[in-house]
Amino acid sequence: MTQQIPLTWFLYFASASFAIGLMGVLMRRNAIGVLMAIEIMLNAANVNFVAFWRYGTAPAGEGPLTGVMMALFVVTIAAAEVAVGVGLILLCYRRWRSADVEEFDGLSG
Amino acid sequence: MPSGLSIQDFVIFSPVILLTIWGLLSLIFDLTLLAGQDPTTRNRALGMWTLAGLVGSLVLSQFLSYKFMGPSAGTDPQIFFGSLNGGVLFIQFTSLVILFAVLITCLSMVWNFTSHWGEYYAMLIWSSVSMILLIAAEDLLTLFLALETMTICLYLMTAMEKSKQRSAEAGLKYFVYGSVSSALFLFGISLVYGMTGTLSIAEIGHILSSTEKPGLTGNVVGGVAVLMILVGFGFKVSAVPFHQWAPDVYEGAPTPVSAWLASGSKLASLVAMVKVMGGGLGSWASTNSPTSPGWVGLLALISAATMTYGNFAALGQTNLKRLLAYSSIAHAGYMLVGVIAVGLSTEPEEAAAALFFYLVVYGLTTIAGFALAAWIDRDRGTEEVEDLNGLARRHPYIGVAVCILMLSMIGIPPTAGFFGKLYMFMEALNVGGTDKVTMVGLVALGLFNSVVSAFYYIRILKAMFFRESDRADLKPMGPEIALPLGLGAVLTLFFGFNSSILLSDMESVSRSGLHFTQRSVNPDGYNVPAPGVVKPAALKEVAKPAPVTKPAPAAKSSATTTKPATPAKPATGVPAAAPKS
Repeated sequence: MTQQIPLTWFLYFASASFAIGLMGVLMRRNAIGVLMAIEIMLNAANVNFVAFWRYGTAPAGEGPLTGVMMALFVVTIAAAEVAVGVGLILLCYRRWRSADVEEFDGLSG
Repeated sequence: MPSGLSIQDFVIFSPVILLTIWGLLSLIFDLTLLAGQDPTTRNRALGMWTLAGLVGSLVLSQFLSYKFMGPSAGTDPQIFFGSLNGGVLFIQFTSLVILFAVLITCLSMVWNFTSHWGEYYAMLIWSSVSMILLIAAEDLLTLFLALETMTICLYLMTAMEKSKQRSAEAGLKYFVYGSVSSALFLFGISLVYGMTGTLSIAEIGHILSSTEKPGLTGNVVGGVAVLMILVGFGFKVSAVPFHQWAPDVYEGAPTPVSAWLASGSKLASLVAMVKVMGGGLGSWASTNSPTSPGWVGLLALISAATMTYGNFAALGQTNLKRLLAYSSIAHAGYMLVGVIAVGLSTEPEEAAAALFFYLVVYGLTTIAGFALAAWIDRDRGTEEVEDLNGLARRHPYIGVAVCILMLSMIGIPPTAGFFGKLYMFMEALNVGGTDKVTMVGLVALGLFNSVVSAFYYIRILKAMFFRESDRADLKPMGPEIALPLGLGAVLTLFFGFNSSILLSDMESVSRSGLHFTQRSVNPDGYNVPAPGVVKPAALKEVAKPAPVTKPAPAAKSSATTTKPATPAKPATGVPAAAPKS
């Protein structure tokens, strides 16, 4: 067999995409863009879970698929979150006629 | 970990299953039986339906606790392959969350802030279900699922007030802040999973405590994981650097939903935080070395900033809901002192019991406070503090009730709020060792802040008792508002005079349901690393999550390093294990 890709590569990738997601949340002004950035962050964590599962051995008493199960559940949660998020963005769009997060500033103080 | 799935798991879990189905049925009824009715009728009918389900589930859970959990239930029952607690903790907090949900349902029936009542009540029921699951969760997968289910329901409930633009804005803000914090929390969990190879909280605590305790300096992965998990919980309990969403959301959300956010959501998140920080990551709480601190130092800073900022910002508020939001931030600061005490105490169960006592009292009083806001919101559409002018003269009983509540929030003796603070701060002062200084400082700051908080709570009383108002009087409260307000006041007084009842109850809860990692028997309250222990190797291994680091080396390093050098380790196992079984 050829050499395996080392775990650290996956971790670098996950950290980088997490950082990209976080920067996206902080810098994007469009609400849909923010939503996409949040999804990138969740998926970065998923990469971590699957990589740790693949490269590690579970301790005694632990099920064999923990990391993968977690990733699967997170995918579902992410889908639910997108559904709710798009709904909320639509609600705001109807009132402001804009999806720009910086315009939603009626509440402050 | 218990093996196999028995029918009894489902029996113990049945109150929650009942509630879940009840929520589905409320959606179906709204679309079939109640289709075409006007919103007021649907609100009444579905509210009553929700109340029936909640009360039924409460009765069922009490019956089950009577049937399955006699006085001998000191063990640590887990259901569904060890993913949920099925013991006293589960039952008692189920009852508590349902009680809160009953009060919120009452408040929701007061006026028509939305027309989607089927969805609203379904969300209310499902969010209480997920709060129960969040409290009962024994592994991080369940915990994260419950946390997300809870907050997704709450995002929607926040945005449900149709007549007000601010409600939609609050919903979106809550959504963005909440999901970013969830993503951070999830990334933190993934790192913990990488270091331990498991998601079970008890198992994580076991693995982490069996390695040496190098603190978090130099332990990059551990430090990042703790930081991210703290940020996640900080958002949920609205601690200070992560609090910006709270005032906006509490003001923008429909008043019953604000009350639900401040009571139920905060209760569930704090219990989960105690479990994860005290149980799973408890061995990282503190080390004796100042150069390599644990998470306690960080949390102490957050706690101090939270209570100070919350109280001082509340001083300038004119909107009652916003004022209550800042007050809830301040209370989160006090409660974080309790979390720190759990992390440091040699008797973490007692510290947790004191914290839970405070949480229960805080939940009841804050729901009652929002009930007051709901009253003026219903009749005037605003909730300014000056709308309260002269109310106590026209409604003396309500004046007395609000007076009791405000005294409890400040923490003045005959009320339960005083005893909550007393027990929690006493637990904090019981901590020994180098962290004693921190704890004394935090408690002193907490007391100072209680004095500051008196100014704005008294402002509410001043408006009610001493100001005149030329505006038309409010309509009578009606039972829907009177029940949460009255029950809050009565229970606050009751638990003030009989605080030991609630405290011993919470103690049985925390003794049966929380597993803290072993604490040392040193009077200092720490596992003092014995001199001469070869730490760097273990530290380096944990620091880099290479495939080799995970479970096997953790066990290996503990075997090699602890055996010769630390007499504390083998000794700790015995006394800490004894009270559990």
